[in-house]
Amino acid sequence: MSNENDRLNSQTDREVSSEDAAATVTLTIPCTPEYVGTARLTILGVASRMGFSYDQVEDIRLAVGEACANAIERAKILKVENPLITIRSLVEPSKLTVEVEDHTDNPSGEGIDQDKPAAEIESMNSQELGALLMEILVDEVSVEPASGGGTRVRLVKFANES
Amino acid sequence: METTSMNLKVTPRRVDEETQALDLEGEVDVYTAPLLRQEIMDQVDAGVKHLLVNLNQVEYLDSTGLGILIGGVKRLKEQNGSLKLVGPSARITRIFEITGLNKIFDVYTSEADAVAAAKA
Repeated sequence: MSNENDRLNSQTDREVSSEDAAATVTLTIPCTPEYVGTARLTILGVASRMGFSYDQVEDIRLAVGEACANAIERAKILKVENPLITIRSLVEPSKLTVEVEDHTDNPSGEGIDQDKPAAEIESMNSQELGALLMEILVDEVSVEPASGGGTRVRLVKFANES
Repeated sequence: METTSMNLKVTPRRVDEETQALDLEGEVDVYTAPLLRQEIMDQVDAGVKHLLVNLNQVEYLDSTGLGILIGGVKRLKEQNGSLKLVGPSARITRIFEITGLNKIFDVYTSEADAVAAAKA
């Protein structure tokens, strides 16, 4: 019994040790609305064990959901057949980096001014709102073409910022 | 009659002759938002003047859902009516604040306050 406990404790210690090499969690889903919840659940699991606050975890979850929603909208507009999204989470002691890569073929994703007047916000579409949310919810957002076509959105949340 | 998607339940409820409530339960996202859009459109088409969207049981709201609520606000405003939001969680209230949408949405903590404001 004691040995068993020692073994479990040892595993736990190793999991939370900051000396661990960065861990990567990768999930590939169909680029369709019904699977975005699966991606959000995965990121919730990854972020929850990193010491982020409740609000920070929720921020990351929403930002990833927005990146997936944007990819779905692009795939729909471009009529891509059987599109996929790959969500790659890189866990490091100081930060979580999530790359949301879609295999569609229309890079876009310009930053949006956060100080828009009400009339302008009212005329924004969902994609613009999604881009705005990503900019606000995580510490860094970058958008670049993915290799082989499509778009890669990289979201970074630092562990010690609120 | 309530309509249910995988992760969202929308239940229309008559408040008075001019006012209808939509009680939402679950997640409003890119998957479920079309259901909410349809319910709002059905109410508009039925001639409802004031629509109260009860967010009390909503755990998640993304930009797709926000876009549909904005569309609903515009549609009802065009018809001299209103769409008011009731009872959002602290989390969703925060989303309204950081996006600046609190300048567009009429948000109330209680349904009674929202009804009173609609009649004012």
